[in-house]
Amino acid sequence: MSMESQLEAAVCFVAVNVSDPALRTQFLDEACAGDTRLRAAVDAMLLAHADAERFFEHGRAAVNAQAAAVIHEAYIDIEEMADEQIGSRVGRYKLLQKIGEGGCGTVYMAEQEEPVRRQVALKVIKLGMDTKSVIARFEAERQALAMMDHPNIARVLDAGATETGRPFFVMELVRGTRITKYCDENNLDNTQRLELFIQICRAIQHAHQKGVIHRDIKPSNILVTLHDGLPVPKVIDFGIAKATEGRLTDNTMFTAVEQFVGTPAYMSPEQAEITGLDVDTRSDIYSLGVLLYELLTGRTPFDSKTLTHSGLDEMRRTLREDEPQLPSTMITLLRRTELMLTASQRHAEPPKLISELKGDLDWIVMKALEKDRNRRYETANGLAMDIQRYLESEPVMARPPSRVYRLQKLVRRNKMVFVAAGAVALALMIGLGTSTWLFIRERATSQREMLLRAQAEDRAKITQALMFVSQDKYDDADAVLDKVRSFPNNPTLDGAAVLRSVGEWMGVHARWPQAVERFSTLIKIDTLDNAYVVTSDYQACGAVLAEAASPEQYEQFCRTAVGNFSAAPRTGILTTCLQFPLKKIQIEALKPMEANLESQYYTSGSTNRITQWNLMPFGLWQYRCGDFAASADWCRQGLAQKYKYPACVATLHVILAMACYQSGQTSEACSELELGRQLIEARFQNGLIHGSAGAGYWYDWIFARHLLREATALIDCNSAQSGIKG
Amino acid sequence: MSNITLVLESVGRGESKATEELFPLVYEELRRMAAVRMAGESAGHTLQPTALVHEAWLQLVGDGEQTWKSQGHFFGAAAEAMRRILIINARRKSTLKRGGDQKRIDIGDLEITSATPDEHVLLINEALEWLEKEDPENARIVSLKFFGGLTNEEVAETTGVSLRTVNRQWLYAKIKLFQWIREQNG
Repeated sequence: MSMESQLEAAVCFVAVNVSDPALRTQFLDEACAGDTRLRAAVDAMLLAHADAERFFEHGRAAVNAQAAAVIHEAYIDIEEMADEQIGSRVGRYKLLQKIGEGGCGTVYMAEQEEPVRRQVALKVIKLGMDTKSVIARFEAERQALAMMDHPNIARVLDAGATETGRPFFVMELVRGTRITKYCDENNLDNTQRLELFIQICRAIQHAHQKGVIHRDIKPSNILVTLHDGLPVPKVIDFGIAKATEGRLTDNTMFTAVEQFVGTPAYMSPEQAEITGLDVDTRSDIYSLGVLLYELLTGRTPFDSKTLTHSGLDEMRRTLREDEPQLPSTMITLLRRTELMLTASQRHAEPPKLISELKGDLDWIVMKALEKDRNRRYETANGLAMDIQRYLESEPVMARPPSRVYRLQKLVRRNKMVFVAAGAVALALMIGLGTSTWLFIRERATSQREMLLRAQAEDRAKITQALMFVSQDKYDDADAVLDKVRSFPNNPTLDGAAVLRSVGEWMGVHARWPQAVERFSTLIKIDTLDNAYVVTSDYQACGAVLAEAASPEQYEQFCRTAVGNFSAAPRTGILTTCLQFPLKKIQIEALKPMEANLESQYYTSGSTNRITQWNLMPFGLWQYRCGDFAASADWCRQGLAQKYKYPACVATLHVILAMACYQSGQTSEACSELELGRQLIEARFQNGLIHGSAGAGYWYDWIFARHLLREATALIDCNSAQSGIKG
Repeated sequence: MSNITLVLESVGRGESKATEELFPLVYEELRRMAAVRMAGESAGHTLQPTALVHEAWLQLVGDGEQTWKSQGHFFGAAAEAMRRILIINARRKSTLKRGGDQKRIDIGDLEITSATPDEHVLLINEALEWLEKEDPENARIVSLKFFGGLTNEEVAETTGVSLRTVNRQWLYAKIKLFQWIREQNG
């Protein structure tokens, strides 16, 4: 730049920023100081300034418009080139013929010449994806994919980029028909369909145990081939959904959804929710549930077209909140012609088909389709085994929802509002740093894989334990539970159920340390996951802790219990904390809960909601506090209740006995003690059973016996009676 | 190590031939990315060249690996690549509109501010070619700003010139280019 130009630029730059005309003139006069050439140049520049700015503003818009046009053309160019020519080569593969076209790519039959000559399937992914990250993600999972070796899984052999920069995958060539088509064309009945489905579950289970999640289970990814005349299903596309998952987190998220997720009908709610970020093996269980639903009814739980066209938010809401029709109900909603067709494709008359689905199959499907993955089958094997039991006419593990369960669902829906808000924040975060995020992800893949594998193993163990429980093999179940590593961090419904069953069995059989072990874990789960909290878990835990004679652990337990229920006091919780004489500090800790319960009692009056069970803890509380007269009052009031619960009656007699004795009424104490003792001993004579709400649960009786021991040690009836005689 | 990293290292060592090698790499990457981006955008959606250039940088060299010096070369190459892509396209479209007439576009009868986008870009490009002869340093700033879509701050960082100088040079260039265009077509 010449000196002249530099001067022009400098003077002009200052002048432009002086808005007052008089000041500007003054500045120019001084700056140019008689240099008329400079003054003329600057004046001309200032005159042109506004137009120049406008011109370049238009220019910027023009460049942007140009860029858009160029990009568009580049896209069309590449898209035109993209259909690979038959006979051409992709990497070391020669394309033989096009065998299919799907939502996200084109599949070719191709020939590999080295190291072995064989025919393979080669899938070229459509444009719109970042080839580098796709391949990087594939490489990250390659080892895990290589470990999969299962007759029902088509192996993924290779991945790379075509000359036009599109990612491609090479798979074992499967010449088969998609499973739904195969079943319908061959009029397979439900049993035959279920048998095929079980094989698919086993294949998925195998992959899960190797730490691989499929993420895109749908009929077009399960092909049926014939082997010696027998149908063999093969799961294809393992690892591909994962490698191409980045698409949803792109800036182009919204169009991408319509473009690529051709089958939202098979997506689990969590997959739709947070763009695949936190997906585990149970997402595949959901998709298996959808597949099973379709195999049985010919329909998906939610209509694929409606889902796709409803928009992203509505799609998420549907998957998250709407309950699908039961399979048996879905069938009855079909139009007559559809119903006839659906039934005949299943080799059945409509009424027979409906009655087959009703009950067990309905519940099996619905358990796999649970919105909350903690309520689904833990493993694909678990699902397969339940179907197996159905086929063998054994009771299945899936159950219709109870009232409590429906209530929990309502609560869960409200929770989802928060989850949704979280997802928005997450999407924003992802938008800001996709590349950083991808980088971190890829690095974390191997760690995650190990974690997934461990979790899958744990789930398999829980299912196994559940099996043992259903066969009454509690010792075996207990042994399996010992090996589960991730219990407290991984609360699941099946996990809690199996812990409860095994703990109960140990409790009933007086194996205290084992019972303590199981119930302590259960309480941890309950603490983590408020949705499933049951007071009875605490009462059971308290009872076995008292028996196991570990005072420290028991005290710790009481603190947890009181803490967890401080906002919602329960008589059961108070009761279980009163098993031993209380220290002053413990009385203080329990006081608010007791006061709260007592005021509840007074406000509800003597309505029929008040039972012996509500009164008994007040009696015991006063006894522990040393007010023996009040204690005796409560106990007598309890015993006078119209509806009598044997376990509670026994307990009340024992407490009353101790209260009387402490007040010096020895003879009444002894007769009360005797009444209590007879009831309790009778109960234990024939072996303790699980019990019921009416007769008292096993832990109610253990609790009663525990107090009986205390009373027996306290009250000396022999000397008292001799005293009366004397 | 990727091809681009090697090229950038050579650029950093001052091997001038390397800059030439850099260009086609960047050009290809920009085109490829443009296509990838386009697949997800609805047609006619305005796409900022800035975004593409920055993404191309991240894509080709990743972050944190390269010095600012090589990043400067990169942005220079990217802006020029962008410029060439746009110009080729604009020329082709203008030619098409004019029935295959290969003559230099007659801009004498154009109301400058109402030029079509294609014509607008071509005008600025021509003026920039003139400025490159007159004042190559300043032309570089225009290229980075106009075709590379960089902000003044980014230009300053990339070229190692102070922000104030960039502001001044950019204002000066805009006026001079505009004056030249008006003169040529007036």
